[in-house]
Amino acid sequence: MRATQILLKRSAWKGPYFVAFPDLREALSTHRPIRTDARSCTILPNFVGVRFEVHNGKDYVPVMVTQDMVGHKLGEFAATRKRFTFR
Amino acid sequence: MVHILGTLLKDHFKVKYALTKFYGIGVNRSNQLCARFQIHDTCRVKELTPYQITAIASFLSSPSTAPALPQYPLAPPTFTPPPPNTASSDLLAKFKAQQANAPPLKMKNKEWRDPLKSLKVESDLRNEIRENIAHQRMIGSYVGRRHAMHLPVRGQNTQNNARTAKKLNTMERW
Repeated sequence: MRATQILLKRSAWKGPYFVAFPDLREALSTHRPIRTDARSCTILPNFVGVRFEVHNGKDYVPVMVTQDMVGHKLGEFAATRKRFTFR
Repeated sequence: MVHILGTLLKDHFKVKYALTKFYGIGVNRSNQLCARFQIHDTCRVKELTPYQITAIASFLSSPSTAPALPQYPLAPPTFTPPPPNTASSDLLAKFKAQQANAPPLKMKNKEWRDPLKSLKVESDLRNEIRENIAHQRMIGSYVGRRHAMHLPVRGQNTQNNARTAKKLNTMERW
């Protein structure tokens, strides 16, 4: 669909950008969320089932990783903008 | 008038522009298709032979399963022509054998991949786009959320305008 997404993609030899979470295995078993600021971290297959708390610039938004999210970035699931409302 | 896959191509159009009538085929793809079916640059739709029309139609109905591009191997520099009394059936058999054993095409350093193999047209392409949007909406990413709100997806301004997105960014596009 988006041609630029393929053309301007990161070089294949580098592999996906991700942050190594040391407490990933522990979080899977205890279901304790991992609090992180790494919005640009790619969701890897071994993140499936882990709960994250992703920073959106102000506070930490809970994100539950499912199988379909693999390949996307963590930041895509923590919206940084508030919907405008009249007071 | 020529009907291909339910699309009407007008007689007086040049073939390379008439093919862009299909959703998913632009000028580039059209040129590639014309080269594939050996249709010259200024050929009009009315000048197409029935064989060419059926070839295009069968290719466009399923580009991924279409027969591969035939190869015509070149003679090596040391080639000596066979004696004139050789039977043409022998020559043909030899040529067929050469064609079957031809090494895969190469482009510079990498293997050549058929660019028309991955072609998607009309409803296939529309379904793919719809599925991509549905996927984004289902996982609740920013892109999917913007689609659901009928707003621009790629960071455009929304203070004014954004008419195209408000018009198009609904679940069912077509």
